[in-house]
Amino acid sequence: MKNNRIRILYIDDEVHNLNAFMASFRRNYEIYIANSAQEGKQVLKGIDVHIIIADQKMPNTTGVEFFNEIKNVLPDPIRILLTGYTDVEDIIDAINKGHIYSYIKKPWDEQELHRTINNAYEIHAARKQLKEKIIELEKTNDELNRFIYSTSHDLRSPLMSVLGIINLSRLDNSVTDPNGYMNMIEMCVTRLDGFIQKIIEYYRNSRLELEFERIDFNNLIRDCTDTFHHQNTSINFNVEVDQPVEFKGDTFRISVILNNLISNAVKYQKPEEEHPTVNLIVKVEPHKATIRIEDNGIGILSEHLNNIFKMFFRSKNNNKPGSGIGLYIVKEALTKIGGTITVDSRFGEGTQFEITIPNRNEFDS
Amino acid sequence: MNSIPDLRVILIDDNDIDLLLHEKLISLQQLSRTVLSFSNANKALEFLSSNISLPHIPPTVILLDIQMPEMDGFEFLRSFDTYPQKIKSQCSIIMVSSSLDFGDISRTNANPLVVRLLKKPLQSKELKDVIESIFKDRD
Repeated sequence: MKNNRIRILYIDDEVHNLNAFMASFRRNYEIYIANSAQEGKQVLKGIDVHIIIADQKMPNTTGVEFFNEIKNVLPDPIRILLTGYTDVEDIIDAINKGHIYSYIKKPWDEQELHRTINNAYEIHAARKQLKEKIIELEKTNDELNRFIYSTSHDLRSPLMSVLGIINLSRLDNSVTDPNGYMNMIEMCVTRLDGFIQKIIEYYRNSRLELEFERIDFNNLIRDCTDTFHHQNTSINFNVEVDQPVEFKGDTFRISVILNNLISNAVKYQKPEEEHPTVNLIVKVEPHKATIRIEDNGIGILSEHLNNIFKMFFRSKNNNKPGSGIGLYIVKEALTKIGGTITVDSRFGEGTQFEITIPNRNEFDS
Repeated sequence: MNSIPDLRVILIDDNDIDLLLHEKLISLQQLSRTVLSFSNANKALEFLSSNISLPHIPPTVILLDIQMPEMDGFEFLRSFDTYPQKIKSQCSIIMVSSSLDFGDISRTNANPLVVRLLKKPLQSKELKDVIESIFKDRD
């Protein structure tokens, strides 16, 4: 088990110190010795040691000078300084310049030195483990990125083929379908695709860097309402945008937030409602934008209000199809951009969401 | 599309079902009488380079998928860009993809060889409009 032993380089100009060290510790550790800083460097070229112990008072190069020289090239070994003099200047230098882990007085106490060596080795092992974990995490990150990419393609592409086949069957009237099965297939596929898109949205939000751009809320809101107007033409959007100052923010995340909230406002309408309405009120100030999304839909049970931002939570008072991920994404995206959200709802009467988003106009230019 | 009687469409897609769908879509809409399908971008490049000996290269619309094994849509574009002007000037490329990846979308939009990026499933009206707009610009 030679490889598991702690490897130590001990540098001292006094040969009898080297011998004494060797005699006391060679049974416990794998020891290399050198009688000058120069010779020490030679040893370090060939051997990957865990701990370096150096005497402070040596001719030519002192221990601190030696540590200071090697610390950039060899940052990993833990450095311990050994000296017979308790010179405050030396200690200060050792800590500030040599980045040493510990300071041992000569003549050394064997027990103390054992403890120090073992503690130093633990630190060395912990740092090494940390480095390995970082590499592992980077790899996982990379895999996750590739996963998102393949989700967006490999999972969606067959679905898009199915939709293409359905379109074609309608174009050439080749399928007799008195019971409307094609429509049902289309609905199911569209729902599945919606869910895949939400997953991609979620990962993109958690991984993409923030990017602050100028945002015109009139345009942004119009883009959103246009999309949803196609889905439910009876819905009435009242849009009020008060934007006297420029606003800068992360377009991707803000549109994800708005799309999800407006989509809910449109989806959770009462079937019998004569005037389904969604009010969108935007107020931009120098430091923040406040957006209210109000609907006169089915509302949320008060006991559910605390849970609506949780992943995969779905309120049971409706039978609408949903993934339970929309509001979770809203919350996550707001956290990313430093925004807040509050909700107020009366069951059977409607729901209001109010979000605030910091204006990055003056901070990041 | 009677105005361009010799228009031909080249389809490049590794998915056979999508090739079939797009072929049918084009013939149903009577967009073109000649449709050539390639499930491998390399084969399509070979075919195009063989066109150099033709006295007249017909106006060509290429529907190009992005994600394909071996050679993907972007690699196809890079190779095609080195082709002689005689071939390039007769070809208009429309990218067709189900990709939602920002990188793919912005790379496609930034490529000067690409006329448009259309999302799958291909809508017949959308395709017709794009092809019409290509040849309207030409006249």
